[in-house]
Amino acid sequence: MNFEELIRRAGVWRAGELSPRSVRASGHAALDAMLPGGGWPCSGLTEILSPAAARGALHAVLPALATITREERWVVWINPPHAPYAPMLDAHGVDLSRVLVVELPEAAAERDGEALWACEQALRFDGCGAALAWLDEASMLALRRLQLAAEAGATWGVLFRPPARARQASPAPLRVALEVSPAAGDGSPRPLELTVLKARGGRSGARCRIVPAEATCHA
Amino acid sequence: MAVNALSLRQGRVPSRAVDDISRTGRGVPAPAGSALWLHLHLPLLPLEAMTRGVAGDVPRVVVQGGQRRAEILCCNRHAAALGIRPGLPLGAAHALGGFELVERNPRAEARALRQLCVWATQFSPQVSAEGEDGLVLEIRGSLRLFGGLDALLARVRRGLRQLGYRADYAVAPTPLAAGLLARARPREIITETCQLATRLAGMPLAALRLPAAWRDALAQLGVRNLGDCRRLPRGGLARRFSPELVNQLDRLFGQLPDPRPAFALPGRFEGAIDLPWEVDNARGLMLAVERLVWELVAFLTARQVLARRLHWFLLGRDGQRERVPLELARPGRDTGHLLLLMRELLARRQLAVPVHGVLLEVDELVATGAPRCDDLFGARDAAQGEAYAAFVDRLRARYGEAALRSLRMATVHHPVQASRRLPAMVSHQPGRRSLAHDETRLAPRPLWLLHRPVRLHVRNGQPIFHGTLQLAPERERIQNAWWGEERLDRDYFVACHPRGDRLWLYRELDGARQWYLHGIFE
Repeated sequence: MNFEELIRRAGVWRAGELSPRSVRASGHAALDAMLPGGGWPCSGLTEILSPAAARGALHAVLPALATITREERWVVWINPPHAPYAPMLDAHGVDLSRVLVVELPEAAAERDGEALWACEQALRFDGCGAALAWLDEASMLALRRLQLAAEAGATWGVLFRPPARARQASPAPLRVALEVSPAAGDGSPRPLELTVLKARGGRSGARCRIVPAEATCHA
Repeated sequence: MAVNALSLRQGRVPSRAVDDISRTGRGVPAPAGSALWLHLHLPLLPLEAMTRGVAGDVPRVVVQGGQRRAEILCCNRHAAALGIRPGLPLGAAHALGGFELVERNPRAEARALRQLCVWATQFSPQVSAEGEDGLVLEIRGSLRLFGGLDALLARVRRGLRQLGYRADYAVAPTPLAAGLLARARPREIITETCQLATRLAGMPLAALRLPAAWRDALAQLGVRNLGDCRRLPRGGLARRFSPELVNQLDRLFGQLPDPRPAFALPGRFEGAIDLPWEVDNARGLMLAVERLVWELVAFLTARQVLARRLHWFLLGRDGQRERVPLELARPGRDTGHLLLLMRELLARRQLAVPVHGVLLEVDELVATGAPRCDDLFGARDAAQGEAYAAFVDRLRARYGEAALRSLRMATVHHPVQASRRLPAMVSHQPGRRSLAHDETRLAPRPLWLLHRPVRLHVRNGQPIFHGTLQLAPERERIQNAWWGEERLDRDYFVACHPRGDRLWLYRELDGARQWYLHGIFE
């Protein structure tokens, strides 16, 4: 009995076998190489921990969102910090007719858990491809609910959270820290630095650097 | 006309009765064993009409009569357990224990019975009210659809429970027999006309709703039950009482046709539930709402239509009404979904006035299966579209109409109007790439647009935003047509923040030449 056979008999799961079953190309070769399975997962939670001001974090997932809308599935934005600019999304290939933005009324936005509730509803409905949410505080229990909803609905939940939350435990199978490099000063898009903090079926600590595709709008 | 021939051959029926018989019989299809009637008798209707909208397993009674001579009309089983019986004077009942007391409201009873008729049309097109406390349905034609008599009865029983009624029922080939059995021997089922004579023979005459004078006179003759009554000579019976009595008996036993006017299903739904006392907590209305939703869904099922918009009204004391509209993203009649939405709507609602009743009106009906112009899903995507509509409904019920937005583009230079936030689409519409892509001039545009531009302070002629901003040399002048609604005259810049963010700024070209932050690149 050789070692391989022994391991199979012992019912051992190896990290490499736990990588997400289906993935979607991220649109950035370096990022695909870093992510377990070779792309963003199609279902389950992904946490992106980035400074609040780094709104460009969206660039890391934008090509994948475009793919989702072209698969005729919905992308639901839960309480984004600003209004996504339609012509720019269009320029990146997002089918706007598959985009739904949920802007919680002020009274609801102040209540704990409303964004989580909306996010869970989005993750659960058939036909939803991805739900994006900007969260700060979220309990382990709430995140677990979201993870279960994302698995049950076969949807991708993307949570943008502040870097300080990296210290908090999370049930998300994939957590990525993101930083934006300083601008070159010539007005070109700034590169994003991504570091895997946790990846089921992958290695943590992997880093990569991507440059968002320069998309211009017809003015 | 076998029935007439039979009556004539007996030769004992006076000519007037014969006329009656032939008049009733002419042109009406003979009942001849084909029909099967289900009678629902509601012994507690006066009580249920008033209290089915409020929860509580407590003794409850309905009283009638003035202040002085108030007596118990009917009571629930909890009150009966205390020893309270119909007919008991109110004072005596008070001595037996505590109970919730409601005054009789015949108007509410009539309305409840009418709503029950609407509800019952989901089981049969032939429904009619019987007296003040019952309704009768012809169900022979529905047996196959509902999977047999037992399955049908189970559904009726479950449905009545959902509406908050307790009914005695019986099934018989004639409506009169069904009613008689429901009142006197509930749950009896007779399916063939030929069984009627033997099975009904022992029934006490009291169960047949005869005028009191006839009942007494028959009792004096020593006639105790239906069997005795049938043995009497028909001619004598007709002469002594009325030919109507003979006819009545013939209808009971299926020897004369007994057509009933079918309840006409109205074109719109209107249902209301009176509450016995004022409710000041929106959650306290949920039971009444639930019952009305069940009635609505039965109506929609019977009419084969879907509802698009539900108009709920919470009725206050002096004709005040608070409107609670519920719009569905996609017409439907799913009870679970409607109840979920109503729970969301009511959970966060503060009632303006104490509520005395709940009213539901639905008049925009959509035919099932009719092509919907706003629905561009193929059959393959129908289920997904359904799920999306349900999601939109749920969020709207919780956060209001304005919370959901779709994004669209417009062919305008105005950077704000180029990105439009519209009310959420009810269903998916294929995207139209509305911008002319052959244009040559390209300009940088941000990923995010601020809902409202932020005015920037200026230091040494340079705009500042958490530090001095470094402007890129290019500027883009955006001016809109002078006839536009909003005057626009701006120079747009890309600026770099010391921290590294790229921002989109503009400077007004007229007035105070103020600087504003409008967008964020990343």
